[in-house]
Amino acid sequence: MSITAETAKAHAHDPAVLCCRAEGGITIEPANLEDPAIFDDLVDSGLLNLDGCLTIEEVLGAKLAKTCDSLCPLTADVVEGAKAPSVPAKEAPAEEAPAPAEVPAAPAMAPAPAAGGMLRIHIGEGKDIDLQIPVGALGAGGAEVAAVPVAGAAAPAAAAAPAEEVKEEKVVRTLTRKHFKITEVKRGPETKIEGTTLTIREGIEAEVIADQELVKDFHLEIITPDLYHTYSETIMDVQPIATKEGEDDIGCGVTRVLDGVVMMLTGVDEGGVQIGEFGSSEGYLDENIMWGRPGCPDKGEIFIKGNIVVQEKTNMERRGPMAAHTAFDIITQEIREVIKKLDDSLVAETQELKQVRRPGKKKVVIVKEIMGQGAMHDNFILPVEPVGVLGARANVDLGNVPVCVSPLEVLDGCIHALTCIGPASKEMSRHYWREPLVLEALHDEEIDLCGVVFVGSPQINAEKFYVSKRVGHTVEMMDADGAFVTTEGFGNNHIDFASHIEQIGMRGIPVVGMSYCAVQGALVVGNKYMQYMVDNNKSESGIENEVLGCNTLCPEDAVRALAMLKTAMAGEAVKAAERKWNPNVKSTNVELIEAAYDRKIELEKNEQSLPMSQKRKEKYD
Amino acid sequence: MGNVQMLLRQHVGAPCTAVVKAGDEVKKGTLIAVPAGLGANIFSSVYGKVAEVTDDRIIIEPSDEQPDEFVPIDVPEDASKLDMVKAAGIVGMGGAGFPTGVKLNINLKETPMGELDPEINPELPADFKLEHGYILINAAECEPGLEHNIRQLEEQCDKVIRGVKYSMEITNADKAIFAIKKKNQKAVKILHEALKNEADISMHLLPDIYPMGEERAVVRECLGVNLTTMQLPSAARCVVVNLETAAKIAEAVDEKKPCITKNLTVRGKINGGNQAHVFMDVPVGVSVGELIERAGGIDGVYGEVIMGGAFTGKSTELDAPITKTTGGILVTIEFPDLHGASVGLLVCACGGSEERMREIAEKMNGKVVSVCRCKQAIENKPGAPLKCLRPGNCPGQVKNNMQFKKDKCEYIIIGNCSDCSNTVMASGPKMGLKVFHQTDHVMRTVGHALYRTLKVSKQVSQDIDF
Repeated sequence: MSITAETAKAHAHDPAVLCCRAEGGITIEPANLEDPAIFDDLVDSGLLNLDGCLTIEEVLGAKLAKTCDSLCPLTADVVEGAKAPSVPAKEAPAEEAPAPAEVPAAPAMAPAPAAGGMLRIHIGEGKDIDLQIPVGALGAGGAEVAAVPVAGAAAPAAAAAPAEEVKEEKVVRTLTRKHFKITEVKRGPETKIEGTTLTIREGIEAEVIADQELVKDFHLEIITPDLYHTYSETIMDVQPIATKEGEDDIGCGVTRVLDGVVMMLTGVDEGGVQIGEFGSSEGYLDENIMWGRPGCPDKGEIFIKGNIVVQEKTNMERRGPMAAHTAFDIITQEIREVIKKLDDSLVAETQELKQVRRPGKKKVVIVKEIMGQGAMHDNFILPVEPVGVLGARANVDLGNVPVCVSPLEVLDGCIHALTCIGPASKEMSRHYWREPLVLEALHDEEIDLCGVVFVGSPQINAEKFYVSKRVGHTVEMMDADGAFVTTEGFGNNHIDFASHIEQIGMRGIPVVGMSYCAVQGALVVGNKYMQYMVDNNKSESGIENEVLGCNTLCPEDAVRALAMLKTAMAGEAVKAAERKWNPNVKSTNVELIEAAYDRKIELEKNEQSLPMSQKRKEKYD
Repeated sequence: MGNVQMLLRQHVGAPCTAVVKAGDEVKKGTLIAVPAGLGANIFSSVYGKVAEVTDDRIIIEPSDEQPDEFVPIDVPEDASKLDMVKAAGIVGMGGAGFPTGVKLNINLKETPMGELDPEINPELPADFKLEHGYILINAAECEPGLEHNIRQLEEQCDKVIRGVKYSMEITNADKAIFAIKKKNQKAVKILHEALKNEADISMHLLPDIYPMGEERAVVRECLGVNLTTMQLPSAARCVVVNLETAAKIAEAVDEKKPCITKNLTVRGKINGGNQAHVFMDVPVGVSVGELIERAGGIDGVYGEVIMGGAFTGKSTELDAPITKTTGGILVTIEFPDLHGASVGLLVCACGGSEERMREIAEKMNGKVVSVCRCKQAIENKPGAPLKCLRPGNCPGQVKNNMQFKKDKCEYIIIGNCSDCSNTVMASGPKMGLKVFHQTDHVMRTVGHALYRTLKVSKQVSQDIDF
């Protein structure tokens, strides 16, 4: 369909194709041109070949040399007086997850950035050199230039920059983590820690079973690295073993944590049905865990693995998973009590996490969508102990409304996750303990992370919009300059994910969205504010491959999201997503960021690094 | 001659109110119905007796003798020309049927230029103004296969020009332009000759594409101004009249003759061949069947009978009466049988309504699974007939084709203009869509090229170079 002058402007760098037959001699106007939004389909079906096609900005106002038919790409030989292209948009960072086709392509708001924009001034020999560079000239230099860390900038350049009011960093509060090393876990008559050996009381299983009516059976296994090739039911959660010192609240004071060992909850119902939805990770542990993901165990760690059997058919009811988590915490709590009494001489390492505010820098908020549809799609928020149960309120019971927390509360286990659909994309309890976006944003000296908002994803659409509107107002009153919206899983929750972005975006605040999308999780809805998307996919074929944690948010995603948000906040253009998932977009973005920040981004491994499981072989690879 | 049926609504506006009753004797020119709201007087077109007055029509039993004399319109000695036009019950004879007395009731000298939409007038400066007031004479006769307009211009050029001059006088227009397709070489030459000494009346030659006779297309071609779908020609300081209407204006002023006859073309699957049968001055109210008989009668099995043109006409019955706006009666060949295949409809302002297109799909035994509308087809008010934003200039159609493909259409039926049909053809067949045009059965019947790809230019030189 023909386009308007406005659309032509937004698509200035897209190919110019006649929408209809046009006669030689006419002056080319927007009304002569087809909407670039549909070109991918046409190219795919072989109706269109864009080789050598000029861009819209080049042909507008030029003369058509000869009569051409509908869908004719305007190449140099049929256009007289084409303009020179302004700047190639090729190397602008690109959005990674395409929104559905109904959504008009993201309008570019600013002149496209210059390619990899680098201002290079080499002066071999000289004196009394007076360089004057208009700030605007640099402004067109693209996201990468704008995002170069201040610390890395040369002194003379800093002098030329507009005087920005430099305010002191402010440490709001600190959180100290005392690490205790564990190298052996065994069973014994009482729960205790001696040196680096953790002993768990024999017979504690009976108390776990007795604690909850719905828990019908329970077995505890100690999985050491030599036992990784053990069959397991689906992994419901992975949790750090940590406790607060004294009366300290979550998110401040001192937390004691065991290194080298994690709690792992697995389970089925009495009928043998896995406690999971849309895939489960049962199988040999070493074939189904993506080692080192923020939410997963690291290779070499010991798992205290409890397998719970809940009452038949309660696996997909709320009470089933809740009972499993609550009962399992009996063991963790007994260990916590032991940790509290440990002598400080056993502390292997002390780490101080600071919540820093940076007044004068762009204020950024992280909105994390967590599951709240019920069954295992729930989260216990703000327990008394890190990733505990006691004292927490279930997200579903809170009505899924936004809850504001400090970054340190996130990192101190304020979310006990009952987790979500899809083993590969769910954020387990340990994920929050090591949340990469929070860590990256907290340490980024160019921004001011003001806080984290958790918002649940309700089952019903009306409730989804109820909570997303709250998110909009919450962010509005923060006077944020930018926001991240992250989610776990895919599908149903993308409806509210999109709505959160819309609610924030419509208030004029740029939003970077982060989700697993790729192929299987492609967005089902979209809106015009979804211009900056980062895809958390790591899997080779872009799918939910049932490998635990494979497609969750990792440091490499956090780095890309931050670069994209800074680009957006600087008013630079981000190229619209390609219509189909293309993993090259991500690698190009990574290269751009590496070049601009002069830092190496370690890319995570994916399921291809694991031994091939029978399930993967049959279902996926 | 069979009974004559005078419909009470044969114009834009409300139905008229009958002022005769059963048993009344009527003559040619006897006033039989008057407007109740927007409308125009209706006169008996024959000598005879009123047989019946129903809700929607007056049925007259004609006498055997039908002298040429008529009852002149009842106006005072000093009546203005506009009053005469009003009294004569003239409506737009090109098909629209807007009461001419209302249309001409404008002083073009005092009419300011309307505000032009820059989006559709990119080439005009923001302060563009037309210096003159214009009467534009629609002589495009754009519906393919019809010939009565051009025939009238060839045979009654003087009368038409007189009507134009009266229209200029009534509206205070200082210029007039005839819009005529260049392909009508004989008529162009006659008109050219007749306008030799008319300094204020000129001619604009149109290319042979559809639609050129759309009112706003005429304005654009003659004056270079694109009107929005809501704007009237007065926004371009002009009034558009069909040439047959102009002739009727001349008759009303010169002869005090009421509007009781119509020129029309009968054509199609008719005994003796598919050439046009032009009938001049047919009494309004005569049946379709009677006119087909006059032309030779239907030749065997046929598809449908259309009243009006192939694009904008509607299917009709043999006993239906013609009105002041009937321009064509077309008898078509049989429809192809699609055997229940899935069909998509591309509805636009230039062709039939969605209802008409569905009727055609049904007659072709197709199952409608998808309906798209041309992007430029604007519905000014809910339910109002569609109007094209830029008549004859395509906005692109590939998106609709993609939708048809998505909806799994095997065939599509389009009602588009020449330019849009061309665009549909640029992608449709390549996507595997089999394309029919709503006018195909008519074009095949009359031996006209089908509306598919466009092979002629939308520009013609204004030189009389033939």
